[in-house]
Amino acid sequence: MTRLMAISPLLVVALGGVLLMLAEAFSHRREEGDVRHTGPSSELALGTAVTLLAGAIMAAAVWMVGPEKLETLPGLAPYYVADRFTLFFTFTICLGGALAALLAGGYLPEHKLDRGEFYPLLTFGTVGAILLAAAGDLLSLFIALETMSLAVYALTGFRRTSPRSTEAAVKYFLLGSFAAVLLLYGGALLYGATGHTDLAGIRAAIMHPAAAKPANLALVLVAAALILCGLAFKVSAVPFHMWTPDAYEGAPTPATGYMAVAVKTAAFAMMLRVLVGGFGDGALASWAAGWPPVLALLAVVTMTGANLVAGRQESVKRMLAYSSIAHAGYVLVAVATIPRASEEAQASVMYYLLAYTVSTIGAFGALVLCGSRGAEAVSYEDLAGLGKRHPAVAIAFTLFLLSLTGVPPTAGFFGKWYVAKTTIGAGLYPLAIVLLLNSALAAYYYLRVLVYMYMRDPAPGAPIAKPMRSGYVVGALVIAGVLVLALGIWPTTPIELAVQAALTAR
Amino acid sequence: MSATDFLFAIWPAILAGIVAAFVPREMSPRQRVALGFIAAIGLASVKWLWPSELPAVVAEGAKAPEEWPHLLNLIVGLPLVGGVVVMFMPRQLLSLVRGFTLVVMAAAFLASLGLLTVPMTAGWHFNYSKDWMPGLGIRYHVAVDGISLWLVILATFITPIAAFASFGSIKTRIKELCIALLFLEGAMIGAFVALDLFVFYVFWELVLVPMYLMIGIWGGTDRIKAAVKFFIYTMVGSVLLLAAILYLVWANQKLTGQWSFDYIDLSRVVLARPAQMLCFWAFSLAFFIKVPMWPVHTWLPDAHTEAPTGGSVILAAVLLKLGTYAYLRFSMGLFAGPASSLAANLAGVAVLGGVLYGALVAWKQQDVKRLVAYSSVAHLGYVMLGLFGATPSGMQGAVLQMVNHGISTGALFLLVGVIYDRRHTRQVDEFGGLAKVMPAYATLFLIVTFASVGVPGTNGFIGEFLVISGTYVSERLGVFGGIHTVGAAAGVILSAVYMLGVVQKMFFGPLTNPKNKHLPDLTPREALALAPLIVMIFVIGFFPGVFLDRMKDAIDMHHSQFKTVSGQAVLYSDEKDAKLLPEDVFSPAFLDGSPSRMTGPKDAEPHAKNDAANGGAK
Repeated sequence: MTRLMAISPLLVVALGGVLLMLAEAFSHRREEGDVRHTGPSSELALGTAVTLLAGAIMAAAVWMVGPEKLETLPGLAPYYVADRFTLFFTFTICLGGALAALLAGGYLPEHKLDRGEFYPLLTFGTVGAILLAAAGDLLSLFIALETMSLAVYALTGFRRTSPRSTEAAVKYFLLGSFAAVLLLYGGALLYGATGHTDLAGIRAAIMHPAAAKPANLALVLVAAALILCGLAFKVSAVPFHMWTPDAYEGAPTPATGYMAVAVKTAAFAMMLRVLVGGFGDGALASWAAGWPPVLALLAVVTMTGANLVAGRQESVKRMLAYSSIAHAGYVLVAVATIPRASEEAQASVMYYLLAYTVSTIGAFGALVLCGSRGAEAVSYEDLAGLGKRHPAVAIAFTLFLLSLTGVPPTAGFFGKWYVAKTTIGAGLYPLAIVLLLNSALAAYYYLRVLVYMYMRDPAPGAPIAKPMRSGYVVGALVIAGVLVLALGIWPTTPIELAVQAALTAR
Repeated sequence: MSATDFLFAIWPAILAGIVAAFVPREMSPRQRVALGFIAAIGLASVKWLWPSELPAVVAEGAKAPEEWPHLLNLIVGLPLVGGVVVMFMPRQLLSLVRGFTLVVMAAAFLASLGLLTVPMTAGWHFNYSKDWMPGLGIRYHVAVDGISLWLVILATFITPIAAFASFGSIKTRIKELCIALLFLEGAMIGAFVALDLFVFYVFWELVLVPMYLMIGIWGGTDRIKAAVKFFIYTMVGSVLLLAAILYLVWANQKLTGQWSFDYIDLSRVVLARPAQMLCFWAFSLAFFIKVPMWPVHTWLPDAHTEAPTGGSVILAAVLLKLGTYAYLRFSMGLFAGPASSLAANLAGVAVLGGVLYGALVAWKQQDVKRLVAYSSVAHLGYVMLGLFGATPSGMQGAVLQMVNHGISTGALFLLVGVIYDRRHTRQVDEFGGLAKVMPAYATLFLIVTFASVGVPGTNGFIGEFLVISGTYVSERLGVFGGIHTVGAAAGVILSAVYMLGVVQKMFFGPLTNPKNKHLPDLTPREALALAPLIVMIFVIGFFPGVFLDRMKDAIDMHHSQFKTVSGQAVLYSDEKDAKLLPEDVFSPAFLDGSPSRMTGPKDAEPHAKNDAANGGAK
């Protein structure tokens, strides 16, 4: 029994998912189109949130005990690496998932999507995400990726009757499979070149060509390129981002929030595992011939491209989709810094993702709260005059947008600050300056929401969004809001924890 | 001090209160009490300014009065906490929200008068520091010296006036207005007193949001564009500032092995020459945008024109001073080398782009508010000229001119607001002969105009005179000193041309426009908002010594340090590596403020010695 302790967060979430599925199967089924505002899904939402928060708490508990001291199951090691890195990401992913579940508890009944399968899907998606963060072997990594992705494809197409949702799901599915195949192909080539599927073995084979079976370096390079493409797709870096705005727009908003938060965090965890664990040293991690310059270029293109396009969007949801792409760019800056400042750069990635999680889920949550049945808040015009009609909602939205913009004293500001500090310390001045200028560029479109909420009145007769009433959504917003301020004002502890969680380069 | 002494000390204030409460006609008892209270506070604060009041207090304990370390926290914290409290007040209770806001601001003002109770010797006062993020070397560190003292008082003095005036003209969304005003005040004061660069940056950014909302929500027709322009301009400047701060901190960390964002610790770092230049520009660009200096001034006329009266007053009177103050404190303090070597060129920009160009553009404006906005560009040109010249009298003049500009331009915006509330236009052509229907208004406008132009006897004269005389003798400007002086003096004439021109067109001549025939004169509320400003115009105009004495020591120290450090920086700076200046370059009073010195000796000593040896070898 004690041997299971190390993987208890995963077990809690998986077991919770099974129970939720059973509960959903036995619950009173209700037809779509029911007019009541509460349904079976409300209780399921609470159950999901509790399950995922329990996962987060278990992760914290295992952290305090110390995963190094715990005995693990034999043979688990490369497939599920139970270290502090895993725990940190498990915490972030579970937190994001739990908040998304709370949003769904308000959103789904309100918009006549009251079907219980949303929650098991979300929970199993989270299982996949946790596995992904923990995978130290290309095989388990691929399985975890597919587990997570399949759940998310289904969540994207959850609004069955809407062609837009279906289109988004199909697009995401096709492109996602393509990316997965690239990743798999890269993995296969890597196996061919080194004879290993576990990341530690791959790294050893690349580092020591004089070993029993020398690696074919040309093949390794091709494999690395393919894997990078797959990773860039999953974190939705420009130019691999084309699916993101459509998928984010078509999916129901809580699912969008979940994708933007948990899925992206897990994808970055996978990226760190592969890049630091597999390609962490030697020529592959150098600025002359390795992945860091590629990532730096990707980061610059991602930030700038996404910010420029985001300014031209007419839909707030789509704007938030592009904003999540831009934030992926900021995180990529930190990832590109890893070879020069390993632990601090990884810590800045982790802190940034945590800050981004609470701010983004909060922003999507505020968007959910702004709309009600038949009057969902989508475009900027829908939000016109909201600051006057519903000041509390508007203040919450403002807080999260300011955090995304990077105005102190919010979590988003400190995240950006910390990434910039690491980058400047690593001597990558142009990258830091591009990052900071981009955050000024991004201010334009975040401010536009404020402009509409506070400074414009709705055109006479125009449809306006009516805020919904939901304790779940308000609860999620309160949790996210408190965390945004707390992480921004007292960031020391999370950063220290993140530094402890960093993967060792050697 | 015994009770009778206390009574004796405050009797003029009580008398003023009684007079103000009983003399006006047709007022309700509540208004009388309020008026009397304000008059009493006003007189007490003016009286409090006089240094002669101090010895009485000092003699009592036969030692310097105790500095209460939390006073600055109180001044910064009051408005911020007040803002949070207002957030939870019911919006229907308008008078409660408004009254609470004014009470909090008055309390902050009274608290800031406490800063005057100690003799302002060189060095830091009311020094308070507490670890915030120890692992990263970030401390909450605040202190005032003779320079920031006046800016803090300016902020606490102007904000209640602006709030009071706003409540007269703004009738919608009072609660949001109060929250914005209180947060704005707290953030501005915080930026003036912060000595930790991180804390400074936090406050500097925090100022943006309430001001953005004020322009955007309660502004004129084109308000959204102006608000966004204001935000983006400042944000671009401040992200570069952030990059430079981080670079400087890393350089310090590599030299001393310690993380510190403290201004006093970082003053010792001399960066490599190219980096020094880049960082100076990154800092200064952020500050120049805020000042604003030509050619990055274009956000200002838009923001001013569109902002509501109260917003314009705060923007002109206090917010712009953030830029000039930060240049004086941070650009000159941290990058003395480039600040010294570029001074002549920058002074040229200040004279040509600020003083002369600003004045010429102001001359051509048809909109009175836009005219006042451009006159700000011109006036702040003087401030920057005084700082670039870097002579003691020039810097004193610059700091005094910051306060002067706050008072006279604040008053001008209030006056423009008065006429805008009546006619909803600000075009000069629409008016003419107003002196016949609004005599009191015309009188006050003329007084403030004289202050703005710099007629002797008003505050503007003292500041401009000190700046111009300082420029003439400045060694930093070299042969250009004379030319700049001539330019600056020409600017004074130009300011008379545009200001008196508009006064003549608006107030004198025939009363042609029929719409102006029945305009009411100043209301008691408007007169009350203007009165303290008018009083201060003459107080500073006739007794500048009261203000200059308190800032003198701080300015002298800052000046001599700037001179030494800029000289040393040239000796020390290197093409490649950053270096630490030895501690003896700085005056002990300056270094004593550093929290790391308060806790114990630094382990950076060996580095400093080595560097001193290197410097000597050169």
